[in-house]
Amino acid sequence: MPKAYPLPTDLSPATVANTASLVRIVAFAFISGAAIASRLFAVINFESIIHEFDPWFNYRATRVLASKGFYEFWNWFDPTAWYPLGRVVGGTIYPGLMATSGVIYNLLHSLHLPVDIRNVCVLLAPGFSALTAWATYMFTKEMKDESAGLLAAAFIGIVPGYISRSVAGSYDNEAIAIFLLMFTFFLWIKAMKQGSALYGTLAAVFYFYMVAAWGGYAFITNMIPLHALALTLMGRFTNRLYVGYSSWYAIGTLASMQVPFVGFQPVRTSEHMGALGVFGLLQIVAFVELVRSHVSSKQFQQLLFSGVIAAGILGTLAIVGLTYNGSIAPWTGRFYSLWDTGYAKKYIPIIASVSEHQPTAWPSFFMDLHFLIFLFPAGVVLCFKQLRDEHVFVIIYALVASYFAGVMVRLMLTLTPIVCVSAAVALSSVFDTYIDPTEPEVSDGDKVDASKKDKSAATPASGASVVGLLTEMVTSGPSTTKKAKPTQRGIFGLDTRAAVIVNALGMLLFFVMHCTWVTSVAYSSPSVVLASHNQDGLQLIDDFREAYYWLRQNTPKDAVVMSWWDYGYQIAGMADRPTLVDNNTWNNTHIATVGKAMSSSEEVAYPILRKHDVDYVLVIFGGMIGYSGDDINKFLWMVRIAQGVWPDEIQEPRYFTPQGDYRVDDQASPTMKNSLMYKLSYYRFPELFGGGHAQDRVRGQMIAKPGPSLDYLDEAFTSENWIVRIYQVKKDDPLGRDLKSANAFDQGKKRKRTRPPVRRRSLA
Amino acid sequence: MLLPFFLLLALPAIVLAAKDSTHQRLVKLAAENNGVVKLDAKTFDLIISPQRDWSASIHFTALDKRRKCTPCREFEPSWVAVAKAWSKVLPSERDSHFFATIDFDDGQMVFQRMGLQSAPVVMNYPPATGPRKSANPDTPITHDFSYGFDPQPLAEQLSAFTPIPIPFRPPINWAKWGVGAFFTLSGVLAIRFLAPVLRNRWTWATITVLTSLVMTSGYMFTRIRGMPNTAPDGSWISPGFQSQYGQETVVVASLYGLLSASFLMLTLVAPLQTSPTRQRTQIYLWTGVVFILFSVLVSFFRVKNRGYPFKLLL
Repeated sequence: MPKAYPLPTDLSPATVANTASLVRIVAFAFISGAAIASRLFAVINFESIIHEFDPWFNYRATRVLASKGFYEFWNWFDPTAWYPLGRVVGGTIYPGLMATSGVIYNLLHSLHLPVDIRNVCVLLAPGFSALTAWATYMFTKEMKDESAGLLAAAFIGIVPGYISRSVAGSYDNEAIAIFLLMFTFFLWIKAMKQGSALYGTLAAVFYFYMVAAWGGYAFITNMIPLHALALTLMGRFTNRLYVGYSSWYAIGTLASMQVPFVGFQPVRTSEHMGALGVFGLLQIVAFVELVRSHVSSKQFQQLLFSGVIAAGILGTLAIVGLTYNGSIAPWTGRFYSLWDTGYAKKYIPIIASVSEHQPTAWPSFFMDLHFLIFLFPAGVVLCFKQLRDEHVFVIIYALVASYFAGVMVRLMLTLTPIVCVSAAVALSSVFDTYIDPTEPEVSDGDKVDASKKDKSAATPASGASVVGLLTEMVTSGPSTTKKAKPTQRGIFGLDTRAAVIVNALGMLLFFVMHCTWVTSVAYSSPSVVLASHNQDGLQLIDDFREAYYWLRQNTPKDAVVMSWWDYGYQIAGMADRPTLVDNNTWNNTHIATVGKAMSSSEEVAYPILRKHDVDYVLVIFGGMIGYSGDDINKFLWMVRIAQGVWPDEIQEPRYFTPQGDYRVDDQASPTMKNSLMYKLSYYRFPELFGGGHAQDRVRGQMIAKPGPSLDYLDEAFTSENWIVRIYQVKKDDPLGRDLKSANAFDQGKKRKRTRPPVRRRSLA
Repeated sequence: MLLPFFLLLALPAIVLAAKDSTHQRLVKLAAENNGVVKLDAKTFDLIISPQRDWSASIHFTALDKRRKCTPCREFEPSWVAVAKAWSKVLPSERDSHFFATIDFDDGQMVFQRMGLQSAPVVMNYPPATGPRKSANPDTPITHDFSYGFDPQPLAEQLSAFTPIPIPFRPPINWAKWGVGAFFTLSGVLAIRFLAPVLRNRWTWATITVLTSLVMTSGYMFTRIRGMPNTAPDGSWISPGFQSQYGQETVVVASLYGLLSASFLMLTLVAPLQTSPTRQRTQIYLWTGVVFILFSVLVSFFRVKNRGYPFKLLL
């Protein structure tokens, strides 16, 4: 057999195996290092700080857990959130994340490493990303081999689609959930391949951990049954599948019901019915298989077959009937909106209003996945070529996740792992083919090409009977070589090898540069501290913390702060003050109340504020420095959500100009100009410009002079760049006047003297 | 001598009679036209008369071809369907709420007076007298079209102004059901012939790969946002990172597909080639295709994301 380049021949197989294993370990250490290091941009550029909104709540809860212990945390009732309702925190969260940090924190302290809980929280996501890389390696190893596994691990370690949710400081459920997702899938593949109840149970345990950590566990709940169902329909039902699925489902479901927030949902909601249905189906199929192996009569088998179909239909009808009956809750809005994409906008505006629930345009895919996105279909085709049982899983996952990622930006996170796996399979096949030194003989020899991969020879599944003639031609690769006429397979020459490999390495290099750039530029901003570049260099804008610390130090501890729900967790975490609404959007009416107060005039809003004991109102205003994520840009959602509850008092069209534009300048509609949000945002804004034009730098419009005036609230604090503005709600006038006339009196405006009204006495 | 006095006494009765006759006239007009009162400038004043004890939903539209109001024509069937659903209600409730349409060509004066510059507009006038009297009957409430032109949300929202909810049921789409039933039936009948196709893994491979290509090229974005295929001025690249046109989906999906196919050619097909020269040609060809198409893709991405610092050939 000719070789394209010489290989050393005097090595013992043991040496090769040991070296390969060492190389794997070293490569793995580097991958983990790269995965962790590339997530530290945020810490280096800014500081060790918790990012964004939701992580602030997780951080606050973790602090309670670390300082008071798990039992207190479990029973924690937070009276300061959703004032005056309060929130039962223990029963309304997924505690997995906090519990993980708590365990790490206690472990480190028991080793006498006095690490601050904040640093544990900040660095949890990068740490888990290394574990994710390992889980992806294990998963991909099951699909192809170790080399594909290492490639997949490297991809998932630095791919922006995953970094976007796991940079240091992004202390959110997804930080640990992707690791759990991939590891549960790996254990499931193992359980299914080996028919091992042990792996099935382990899958159930990690499934439980996932349920405790992230609401997205429903993805696993439906992916595994889908895989089992597809295998059954393909006629690949085996006892291994039966054992794996049954052990996973029975233990996993019972375990998941222990999480208080989940409770009885696994048997009462539609999201979980697929898993239950497949569980039932597998029992029937297994029973039939058992009977078939004992009974020989053909008629009886046919009877049995129709019996199975009847039982399946009856089972489905029973589930449908129970759903209509109300015993099984129908799909919740969040899940339903994935299928009926117009649903959320119509019925749950609060879900539609979140920016990460928008559909994904193609640049986002390319930005997050770069060249993996087009290797991904190639990997799927390679999976189809072999089509072992585990490849079916990759195929279903690819199909489902690419649809979901298209519907919601946020679900790019679930697509990313499978893209990495699939692309790694494709790229590693390229490398396998072109690095292999054996050259085929030019004349068509008789002996089977020795260069064919041993792993693929082990595939029993490529049923040649179902494959058409064309397929035979295309795929007369390794798997069919034994049956078909032995085919020459291999590459001639060194230059061809070099061309392909240099091209592929160049792409990998480009990928690394792309990932580093995207991570450093796009995904490493804490959004609590903003950065702006000007001629003096990098300038940090720290208005949020300035304002929250002002609240913390200058207001009484029980002062209620009203703001739009986005800032609820931050106020609770940084200012430690009660809030009306926060990012746990469980009570739509309460949020709509805040929306109504913000979108009504002062006279209407004041009683609402007083009834809710509001002392301070906080608004975010970006017009001064051009911060576009401010409240005026979110204002229409407040109006819409308020309109959903009070359609006769708040109407969206009134906030537009007659031409249908959303304006804030002198053409703004009177309702807009009188709304509390408008007044609080632009109060005293024109004064800042003296005689010049007061330009709003976000919307590029001139604010009319004089600016709005306030009667019922007082400006209490405005941050350096005017991003955060805090207003104090006035108490009742001590003399019993209404605040408007009291204010007019203070300003020296005389009340117009009118003739005292003539009182007519009725002549009854 | 006594005549003016009598007249004075009779005044309320006359007013009452006038009101009654107006009401009856409206009821009659509504009955004639499937529940929609066709208005002109005169009858418009009647239906919003300050003594009304009925409520009214008035639809301002411009259906004439010359007006070129496409949304008006899109909305018209929904309006007619909802009004027809209301005309099925018992007369006791039905006659206290009217659906009316006024066309721009029948009442330009009304449009001017209302300050309307666009159509279609639906305004809801609450009753001015009677038991359902509204607090401020003079300000009609404009219907919010943010839920689209479909009859279902329209009926739901207008039900806030009618004495009882509008009993609107979406009509059964027989054509859709028929087509569905036809295909299911023919599929079941042809299953014997389709079975080899359905059991061929490459059928499924094609479906899977095409679906994931289309989905990862932003097809759902154009669907959900209702993006046009190209811009009105003919350019097919939408400016901005978070947006795209239908044409872009096609281009990006084919780029991805070609790149993917080139890799598959390199992995699966080229090694099968037994002639060294032909194999070498193939390998260089596909490597070149990968490199060039990837450069095209990156430069396309640079158009969408102006700040992107990397580039290949282009």
